[in-house]
Amino acid sequence: MSPSSVMWVEKYRPQKISELINQKEIVGSINSMLKNQSELPHLLFSGSAGVGKTSAALCVSREILGKHWRDYTLELNASDERGINMVRERVKKFSRFAGLDTEIPFKIIILDEADEMTADAQTALRRITEDTAKICRFILIANNLSKIIKPIQSRCVVFKFTKISDKEILSQLKSIGKKEKIKADEKGLSAICDYTDGDLRHAINILQAAASSGNVTESVVKSVVGLTKTNDVQDVLKLALDGKISDARDKMIELIKVYGMSESDFLKYINQAVFNSKANNLEGMLETIAKYDYRILVGANPEIQLSALLAELTKFGK
Amino acid sequence: MMWSEKYRPKNFLDLIGNEESRKLFVEWFTNWKKGTRPILLVGPPGIGKTTLANLAAKQFGYDLISLNASDVRNKKNIHEILSPVLGNQTVLGTPMIFIDEVDGVHGRADYGGTEAIIKILKEPTVPIVLAANTDSSDKMKSIKKVVKTIEMKPLSPKLLRLCLNRILQLEGVKIDSDSLAKLVTKSRGDIRSMINFTQARATGFDPPTEKSFESLDIEEGINAFYKANSTVEARSILYSLRIDPREKINAFYSSIITSKISADDMQKFLQVISEADMLYGKIMKTQQWRLLRYLDAILLGLYKKDILIRYSKYNLSWPLLNRLRWDGTKIKSIIGSLAKTMHVSKSTFSTLYFPYLLYCIKNKKIDLEFDESLEEIVQKEVALIK
Ligand SMILES: Nc1ncnc2c1ncn2[C@@H]1O[C@H](COP(=O)(O)OP(=O)(O)OP(=O)(O)O)[C@@H](O)[C@H]1O
Ligand SMILES: Nc1ncnc2c1ncn2[C@@H]1O[C@H](COP(=O)(O)OP(=O)(O)O)[C@@H](O)[C@H]1O
Ligand SMILES: [Mg+2]
Ligand SMILES: [Mg+2]
Repeated sequence: MSPSSVMWVEKYRPQKISELINQKEIVGSINSMLKNQSELPHLLFSGSAGVGKTSAALCVSREILGKHWRDYTLELNASDERGINMVRERVKKFSRFAGLDTEIPFKIIILDEADEMTADAQTALRRITEDTAKICRFILIANNLSKIIKPIQSRCVVFKFTKISDKEILSQLKSIGKKEKIKADEKGLSAICDYTDGDLRHAINILQAAASSGNVTESVVKSVVGLTKTNDVQDVLKLALDGKISDARDKMIELIKVYGMSESDFLKYINQAVFNSKANNLEGMLETIAKYDYRILVGANPEIQLSALLAELTKFGK
Repeated sequence: MMWSEKYRPKNFLDLIGNEESRKLFVEWFTNWKKGTRPILLVGPPGIGKTTLANLAAKQFGYDLISLNASDVRNKKNIHEILSPVLGNQTVLGTPMIFIDEVDGVHGRADYGGTEAIIKILKEPTVPIVLAANTDSSDKMKSIKKVVKTIEMKPLSPKLLRLCLNRILQLEGVKIDSDSLAKLVTKSRGDIRSMINFTQARATGFDPPTEKSFESLDIEEGINAFYKANSTVEARSILYSLRIDPREKINAFYSSIITSKISADDMQKFLQVISEADMLYGKIMKTQQWRLLRYLDAILLGLYKKDILIRYSKYNLSWPLLNRLRWDGTKIKSIIGSLAKTMHVSKSTFSTLYFPYLLYCIKNKKIDLEFDESLEEIVQKEVALIK
């Protein structure tokens, strides 16, 4: 079995713009822009996780490039390669190479999680988007629009994707459940909705994992959601607050170096963990995290900084 | 001025290394007449290609028209800049053309650029010199057909040492022989890089206050630092520990993180290291080497009398180190390829997809084929699920 057919998120990924759930206005305006393809501007999709941004980008590419879409689309995830070299080597090269098929109006570069790109890398992109405008279109995707530098934003049409309503998530889960012939009770499904907060991608993943163990019930859902590595980040926080620096650090290093969690995701999840912990020193802890986040941003060594962060968090534990 | 520019050779006699190549080059200039094949200088960075071309122009009295490969975008540009020079419209005295980093044209400019250059190379009405790091690409091969190639090689350690000693003498800076040897080896024959690193080294440290510690290696240094009886003694040890700042920070980090000290001390020390590390990161980013002199002042905050810290090379326990090396490599390779098919980042995949996928595999609802070596790690990870 191929990986893309075994995981339901992939299996049920919208193949046409019009299949996107919950983003009616965006679907409408993208569709009307697609009527005049040669004038299509660069696009920037922003919004939280699992609301259809990547799907929309892939659909645009498929609809414009037809059967050749894979050959003329460069899909990069900036979270995997964040630096200027990614732009200089991969993006620039792809955008420049000649040999456009006549049936094709331009090539498409999808830069997913573009808000993870360093400012340098974004700046380098600036020139390229202009220089290659005739033969290339960019679709940038970002969770956090404010991390995209202004000159880039100004070169794109920005679409803000909204979270998917619980109602829509529920009906999508039901429809998938029906096709996959699984048993799920109402409480189990609404537990998934509660947990995922508008993230359809995560909801589908939970549904599949829960269904794999039999009936999708509330208690199964509860135990399944404990599987993700965000739970491990919570554990790291707990260990640190208990003063167990060394254990906390070992676990953090395992997450980053064995499983490949990015440092910036680690910071994001520990931030969430602090937020959810409802500790009384919330502001102090968040400030501390921000301090080390900043240090990494200005070029410090992430491992050293994250270790120091965990050590400093111990002082909030007492 | 940065040293690598300050000590850019001002005339032929200052150049070192590649005698043969230089001789060929000078001969070519001496005998040049209309139609003589252009010259291509090929060699790794920082060995004097650009310098040589510039000096030759000066020496032989040519007016240099330089084209930096990053300017060369297309056919049109090249023609606009070079046609007047080639077409005898001698606005410029006796011109010569220098196209530097011509291998850069390949990646950066479009096809027409190389074509245009080749066309010009075929009818040289003025001396034309090209320089490049490599000549193995297809574009370079077609260029090579119409030029005479002169190869330039990395410099020998002996010559590098000579050059370095001269600069150190002129700067009035002393560097111990170990560091000197390291600078020479590390440069791999690249003079410019050697000079840059020497400057970094030299400006980063105050002169040692006590000679006796000068030859301390990193292990002895850290141990001596923590055995010091006073801050004053610790300081002189620290300042005389002349090793790469990155190595210094890392050595303190691994020694401290693996020691059994109180949580309070640990927290305090890690904050100091974090600050030192941040400063170093900034220096690397901005190339403000003079800021390095504050690094030791920050690191001195790591001293505490009678604290039990000893040098440690590794900052992780063996089991974790092994898990990282063996399991980590395999897990990352699985995650790398799966993330791509799911259109998410590796980090997102490992955090939010992989655990669910393993769970489905455990429940025998999903069956994916992995290579034998990877199958094993998948089973191991499945077994780890609570
Ligand atoms: N042969 C040499 N003799 C003395 N100094 C040299 C020599 N080669 C390089 N250098 C030092 O390195 C600096 C850069 O040299 P240059 O610009 O000629 O390098 P290059 O070979 O053209 O490198 P690249 O291919 O990266 O452009 C000089 O300013 C000088 O300080
Ligand atoms: N608006 C949507 N309509 C239909 N399916 C969606 C939508 N948003 C997310 N999904 C489901 O989640 C999966 C991942 O969505 P994706 O487009 O990658 O989200 P994002 O890029 O916004 O994080 C899709 O394959 C699909 O199964
Ligand atoms: Mg996405
Ligand atoms: Mg050069």
